[in-house]
Amino acid sequence: MYAASVQELIDELGRLPGIGPKSAQRIAFYILKSPAEDARRLAACITAAKTKVTWCARCFNVAEGEAGVECEICTDPRRDSSALCVVEEPRDVVAIEKTGEFRGRYHVLQGAISPIDGIGPDQLRVRELLARIDAEGVKEVILCTNPNIEGDATALYLASLLKHLPVKVTRIASGLPVGGDLEYADELTLGRALEGRRELA
Amino acid sequence: MTIVHFDWLSLKDFRNYRFVEIALAKEGITLFIGANGAGKTNLLEAVGVLATWQSFRGAPPEAMVREGASQAVLRGQVSREGRSVLVEAELNRLGRGRLQLNHQAVRKLQDLRSALAVTVFSPDDLELVKGGPQHRREYLDDLLASFGPKYGAARSQMERALKQRNALLRAAKGALRGAMAMTMDVWDAKLAEAGEAVAQARQELVEALVPRVAAAYGRLSRWAPGSSGEAIGLQYQRSWQGGLLDALQAARPEDLRRAVTTLGPQRDDMVITLGGLPARLQASQGEQRSLALALRLAGHGLVTDQGGSRPVLLLDDVFSELDANRCAALAESLPLGQALLTATEPPAVSLPLAARARVAAGVIER
Ligand SMILES: [Zn+2]
Repeated sequence: MYAASVQELIDELGRLPGIGPKSAQRIAFYILKSPAEDARRLAACITAAKTKVTWCARCFNVAEGEAGVECEICTDPRRDSSALCVVEEPRDVVAIEKTGEFRGRYHVLQGAISPIDGIGPDQLRVRELLARIDAEGVKEVILCTNPNIEGDATALYLASLLKHLPVKVTRIASGLPVGGDLEYADELTLGRALEGRRELA
Repeated sequence: MTIVHFDWLSLKDFRNYRFVEIALAKEGITLFIGANGAGKTNLLEAVGVLATWQSFRGAPPEAMVREGASQAVLRGQVSREGRSVLVEAELNRLGRGRLQLNHQAVRKLQDLRSALAVTVFSPDDLELVKGGPQHRREYLDDLLASFGPKYGAARSQMERALKQRNALLRAAKGALRGAMAMTMDVWDAKLAEAGEAVAQARQELVEALVPRVAAAYGRLSRWAPGSSGEAIGLQYQRSWQGGLLDALQAARPEDLRRAVTTLGPQRDDMVITLGGLPARLQASQGEQRSLALALRLAGHGLVTDQGGSRPVLLLDDVFSELDANRCAALAESLPLGQALLTATEPPAVSLPLAARARVAAGVIER
């Protein structure tokens, strides 16, 4: 129906998460109608991000630089290394940073346990998490996985692993929307949830 | 008691209707008479879609769009206590549909439920008594969902945990290795937590239904010779004993072998007995029909009392299956409020009708 290059653009956009065929079409024509300079800048951003950005070698958040580099939070000496906040995705780090309530460091699992999607502990950065406890002198692990059933299951699983280690394990207090994503929890709610975290038995 | 009722309805390109618009009597029975295939059930189905956003026949949206059309549009004005809301539903052959209350998109089905409720009686209700346990679980779940959002949340948590546990059982291929065993513990815990809440809510509902079902059945069978005085029993039967967590862990070897969760609320039943005998197997067809009607009437009564308003009654072809005595008894025990009734021919008993219409080939005539 469309010229091959247009159809290809629509198809590629349609493969992005959360973008259906209709949105893909709308975005494609938005790009086609906008000045050539804007389109070039977008393409350059995508290429630059993909070449410059890698996973932090310590916490698996996004980091800028060669493979093996550490992120800004891990390399910041003012951060408290005794408190470690475990999240599912890099975007959750951003959400918690916005609250300004947390001065420790993070560990990004890069997902949650979900057998439906074939994701078990081996597909997540769990071993790397355990290795950090002793190496970095972590005293408290705060489990900030999403307040949905997969996030809860992941927290429960990590808690049962961590109970053998000399570390306090807490889960952010509920009060977050049930079944929600941390990303969408507003900053105040998330800040309060962090303050009211409770110890897991 | 507040009455919720439709002032009018319009159907465009829905099933066999091109376009039809009808005004409805606020209270009492409106009878729609027509041959099989004329579109009587389609009309009730449309009302059901406006009230629940799903077909009580279990039809997917695209199946409800008239052949040759790409979109069906249903509209209705619902009034209670002098205030009116406009409900609009768009069903598309391709893509998602749209549901609006007063021109605003409905975000939660709970908002629709609190604006409008219906109770559907259909010939398929016999399955409640005669069919498999899934029909009775669905009956309980639908009633519980109409009482508020809490139950639905527990049930969807339970179903999600069950799906995850079953996926893990399949992936295990008979044996749990390494970290898998510990993640199984986690899914057991999540399933047990949500499952106990679901079973508890269903059990409490069954207890609340017992006297209502017995009373409704008594009214219905009073006229039927030889079937008076039979005691009705209604019992929620869990598929496990003791705590669900312990039961899941004890069942694990069996579950691993069969690669599916063998117990939990998804396997529970509501056992109906008549004179101490299981109605599913031992009751006569007439008794089973009366029991199914009694279950619907009891549910309707409970929703009415809890919600503070009478749901609209949709009665699809219920009289044709009943003998004259039961017809008369049902006519007497129909609660007040707006009721839309379909039949292929005028019922044998005289009904207090508020209005009457004839349906033929997608056209409705007064
Ligand atoms: Zn880092």
